[in-house]
Amino acid sequence: MSIVVDQLTRIYNPDTDFPITAVNNVSLEVKPGEFVAVMGPSGSGKTTLLNMLGGIDRPSSGTVRIDDSDITALGDKELISFRRDNIGFIFQDFSLLPVLTAKENVEFVMQLQGRSHVECATRSLQLLNDVGLGDRLNCVPGKLSGGQQQRVAVARALAPKPKFVLADEPTANLDAVTTRDLLDIMQQLNEKEGVTFIFSTHDPRVIERARRVIVFEDGIIKEDRVQ
Amino acid sequence: MLLRLAWRNVWRNRLRSSIMVAAMVFGLLGAVLMSGFVIAMTNSMIENAIKYQTSHLQLHNPKFIVGEELAAWLPEADGLATQIRQQPGVAAVTVRQLVDGMLASAASTRGVRINGIDLEQEVAVTALAESLAEGGLLPADGRNPIMVSRRNAERLNLRIGSKVVLTFTDAGGEVTGAAFRVCGFFKTPLSGFDDANVYVRRSDLAGLTGLDQAHELAVRLESDALSDQVKTALVALVGAQATVRDWGEVQPILAAMTASVDQTNSILAAVFMAALGFGIVNIMLMSVFERTREFGVLMATGMTKAKVLTLIIIEALFLGGSGGLLGMAVSWLVLALLGRVGLPFGAMAEGLGVYGVDTVLYPEVPGSYYLSMFALVLVTSLLAAFYPARQILKKSPVEALTERH
Repeated sequence: MSIVVDQLTRIYNPDTDFPITAVNNVSLEVKPGEFVAVMGPSGSGKTTLLNMLGGIDRPSSGTVRIDDSDITALGDKELISFRRDNIGFIFQDFSLLPVLTAKENVEFVMQLQGRSHVECATRSLQLLNDVGLGDRLNCVPGKLSGGQQQRVAVARALAPKPKFVLADEPTANLDAVTTRDLLDIMQQLNEKEGVTFIFSTHDPRVIERARRVIVFEDGIIKEDRVQ
Repeated sequence: MLLRLAWRNVWRNRLRSSIMVAAMVFGLLGAVLMSGFVIAMTNSMIENAIKYQTSHLQLHNPKFIVGEELAAWLPEADGLATQIRQQPGVAAVTVRQLVDGMLASAASTRGVRINGIDLEQEVAVTALAESLAEGGLLPADGRNPIMVSRRNAERLNLRIGSKVVLTFTDAGGEVTGAAFRVCGFFKTPLSGFDDANVYVRRSDLAGLTGLDQAHELAVRLESDALSDQVKTALVALVGAQATVRDWGEVQPILAAMTASVDQTNSILAAVFMAALGFGIVNIMLMSVFERTREFGVLMATGMTKAKVLTLIIIEALFLGGSGGLLGMAVSWLVLALLGRVGLPFGAMAEGLGVYGVDTVLYPEVPGSYYLSMFALVLVTSLLAAFYPARQILKKSPVEALTERH
C-alpha cells in the first residue's frame, strides 16, 4: 500500500488575524514496507502531518491518496472504517484503555472490525508473544512499565492487520534500553508483517534505525533521505 | 467487550460511583417510603371509613340525601333489608333511624347525630363492638341506654351510668327529648365521627320521635371488590324508592384523596427522577471529560460515533441500574420490616384521627411499583447519558486527542 501526499496544507485558525500554517504544501510518497522517520523540532508540523496521513485530521487543501483511495474525500463514516481496517496508531503516551488487560486492549480493535472471538484471541496472543509480553497478557496497563505499555500499544496497532502504522513520538517517554528493545520489535514486525511504519520523532536513536528520514521544519520538508 | 469496558469504566473511580449509587439508594428509599406511607395512610382511611362509618353501601330515601329530614324515611326498610341480605355478596345489613339533636349533660351540650340501631344488626355491619372502650354495648332491656364516644364523654364530663338528655324534633315537628343513661363509651380512629355520633336503641328512638320508620340501610359486603357488582344489583332491586351509594359517594372528599394517591406518588417519583437525572449527568460529565483523550484514541482506532454513544449510554445504564437495583432491594427490605412492625404515629393521633387514619401505619407498595420505579431509573439514566455523550461526539478524533483535562 503506497501513500501519496500531494500539496498538503493545514492551516489552523484560517479565518482569524493569526492563521497558523502547520503543514505547508507538502508532497511526498511512501512505498509499501518502508520504515520512515519524520524528524523535526517541536512545533514543526510532524504530528499534524501524521494526523492527516492517518485520517484523524482533515487538510485545508491537498490530498492524501492511499493506494487508490483519496482519504481526504471520504465522509466521516467511511473514514472511520478506513482507519479501522488500514491504519494502526501508536501514541507517545501509549493511550491504552486502563480498564482493559493487555490482551483485551489488543483484542478490542479487532472486535471493532467484527472479527470472531477465536481469531481475536489467537492474534492477540501471537502479537503479545511477538512483543515479548506473553507472560503479561492479563495485566492492566497500570501494572506494566512504560516500555511494556508501549509494546502493548505496538501489538494493538498491528492487531487489525493495518497497511501502515503511524507512531507519534513512540519513544519519547522511554529510556535507552527500552527504546532499543521497542525499535527492535517494530523493525522485526515491519519485516515479518510487511507493514509500513511512519514515525514522527526527534529522538536520534529512532532516526538512526530508520531506513528513510524526512526532515520537517516550519511545515515543509527540508530533507528527504534514504539511509 | 463493550459491556465489559462500560462496566469497568463505571467502577474505575469506585469512590465517585459508590457515592452516586449510595445517593440513589437513599433517594429511592425515601421515595418508596413516602409512597408506602401515602398508600398505607389512604388504605387506613378507606378501611376505617368502611369499617366504622359508611360500610360498603348505603341506601337512603333520595330526599334524605338532600335535606336529611326526619320525614324522608325509607319505605318498608326492614323488608328491603331482608331482601338485600339474600343478594349474593352481601354479608350483613343494618337498619337505622337517624335524628339530629342535642346531647346535654350537667357540664355541657353538643350537637350529635342520634343513631337508632338494632344492636345485633349493627355489630354485624360495623365495628361498634370492637370500638367499645369502656362499659358495655346497648343492652336489650333497661330504660333508654345510650353509647357515647369517649371524646364526648370527656367533654361532657360523663362516666358510665351518667345521665344525659337528648333533645330533637319529633315527627310532628315538636321539640322533644328524653333522659338516657350512658352504658358504654366507644372510640373509633375517626375523631370527627366520634364527635358527631351517639347510639341508642332504634325502638327507644322510634318511641320518642313517633316515627316507626328507618332512614338508612348500611350494607357490609363479603369483599371490597364486590362493591360495584352488588351496587348494580341493589339499584335494580330498589328502583327509584332509594338511592344506593358506595363509600366513595358517601365520602366524596375521601374518594378524591384516594384518587390522588397515584398522582402524589407520580410527583414523588418525578422529583426523585429529576434529582437522579442531574446526578447521573454530573457523574457522566466528569467521567467523559476526564476521558476525552481516551475517546479520541477510540475514535482514531475505528470506533464509530454510534458505538461511542452506545458505550456512554451503557455506562449510564450500569450506574443507574446498580443504584436502582440496590435501592429497590434496600427499599423492599425496609418496607418488609416496617410492614411487620409498623410505623408508630401515636404523637400525631389527634391530627390523624381527623382523617380517620390509624396511629400505627404499615407502609406498603405493590410489586409493580418497584418494577416501574426501576424502569424509570433506567429511562432517566438513558436520557441523562445523552448530554455528556454529545459533548464528546461533537469533537473530531484529533480534537479529542489533543484535549487535556
